[in-house]
Amino acid sequence: MKNGEIIDNIRLKNDYHIVRFFAPEICRQARAGQFVHVRIDHRGDRILRRPFSIHNVESDGALSVVYKVVGAGTATLAELGPGTVCDLLGPLGVGFSDVPADVTPVLVAGGYGAAATFLLTRQMTQRGIFLFGARSSADVILTDVYHRAGYDVRIATNDGSEGKKGFVTGLVEQLLAEWSGGKLFFYGCGPHPMLMALARQLHSAGMPGELSIDHLMCCGVGACFACVVKIKADTPEGWKYARACTDGPVFNLDTVYVE
Amino acid sequence: MADLTTRLGELTLKNPVMTASGTFGYGFEYHKYYDISRLGAVVVKGIRMTPSHGNPTPRVAEVTGGMLNAIGLQGPGVEKFLHGDEYLPFLRRVGATVIVNIWGTSIAEYGEVAARLDAESAGIAALEINISCPNVKAGGVAFGTDPKLAAEVVSTVRRATGLPLITKLSPNVSNIGEFARAVEAAGSDMISLINTITAMAIDIETRRPKIANRTGGFSGPALKPIAVRMVYEAARAVKVPVIGMGGICTGEDAVEFLLAGASAVAVGTANFVDPHAPLAVIDGINGYLDRHGYRSVSEIVGALEV
Repeated sequence: MKNGEIIDNIRLKNDYHIVRFFAPEICRQARAGQFVHVRIDHRGDRILRRPFSIHNVESDGALSVVYKVVGAGTATLAELGPGTVCDLLGPLGVGFSDVPADVTPVLVAGGYGAAATFLLTRQMTQRGIFLFGARSSADVILTDVYHRAGYDVRIATNDGSEGKKGFVTGLVEQLLAEWSGGKLFFYGCGPHPMLMALARQLHSAGMPGELSIDHLMCCGVGACFACVVKIKADTPEGWKYARACTDGPVFNLDTVYVE
Repeated sequence: MADLTTRLGELTLKNPVMTASGTFGYGFEYHKYYDISRLGAVVVKGIRMTPSHGNPTPRVAEVTGGMLNAIGLQGPGVEKFLHGDEYLPFLRRVGATVIVNIWGTSIAEYGEVAARLDAESAGIAALEINISCPNVKAGGVAFGTDPKLAAEVVSTVRRATGLPLITKLSPNVSNIGEFARAVEAAGSDMISLINTITAMAIDIETRRPKIANRTGGFSGPALKPIAVRMVYEAARAVKVPVIGMGGICTGEDAVEFLLAGASAVAVGTANFVDPHAPLAVIDGINGYLDRHGYRSVSEIVGALEV
């Protein structure tokens, strides 16, 4: 099999798909929260790569990525079958860090952000809590893999069609109110407004954690400064722009700047 | 193997392929993919006196055959560039041929940056004066769309440094030859073009511009025919060497620019698609020269038959 060759590319649910690439080198190095930068279309007029969080890696060199069809790039990707070879750069970016075994990891994910936190369940031996938010039950994905990993899975949907009605931050609030166990450490990945709400909530609760802040990306290697996010800094404004692709996408909560 | 040595006045490069400013960071980022000293030159992202935040996000949008960007010249400022380990000290260490792109929000600032770089110029091969960034409110293209101001920037920088000077022209003008002649007369040793073309893309669902700055600079392969035409016109207007760029992805693309009159070329947006793109362009030029029996790249500069 060639590097970057698609092993399989199947629909997970509705617009959500999972593709597995043969990428043994990337699999060996990958950490939770890192991403691969995929050149989907080698011939067409959409030239830019698309970044995807690494969902899982297997010992036989299969690297999986979960994506939602949202535009031209992902629509093209969904049409590619086994045997198609894509050019992959990666693993790129700063991933999540592990916490000691006496700390309970709380993974907070929105939508396909659930893909990026999964490797944490394999990197750390302790079991944790998976809080998942989505628009409606049509967008509830990957909760089964967290179940199988032994995580306490709790779901919220905006319309109440599955789990608790409301946002994922409601689940966080509930957890913080009822928790009497040991230390918690939060990991967040999802849409920007969700992450900012989560950051605000965790800042005021004084909880430690890391957020994967994903912005419209271009080069993926730190050269173009397209994907910047605001982080706290010793500047007159109190913030500076950091590159999601190389300074992140994972940032410690302490540095995350909330407007 | 043809001789790729490229002479641009007093500046000699090992080959005619550079990176376009703003598409290659400060070189550091791509050195993990290949040895960047293999390039004709590394042209770093624009440097001014002070650090700058750049523009709000979103800063880029993909369009047919290319992209729009409005990064807004985010940068570390000249002192950090001179002394920060991942900037000029790194480039010196790896032996890259370095061209520093400079800008300012006033004509005086262009001169100050040039003087500062001149004072610690070890490892700097040339300066490229950016009077063509379309995405900053003050400076940039404001100086590049008025030939008198363009000339004033160039003569200010000329007085501040003895380093070879390249002036990067904006395509957002109706008569490129006039600008080429104005900066040549003001003391620019070379000109480079084109910078991006001011453009716009709209998200029709939200009815908002796709990038926060509203307009951005269009780059990528769709731009190439416009760039080739402007390089052709500029090269006919001046005696100084011309560095051509705009949508170059392959060696064949680069050859078009050389035939049109460019003595060297730069690879820009293609770096985002393939980190190895500039090396492929070098190989492609070499392959073309061999195929056609040329012994040196200089033989095809301006060799267009009309």
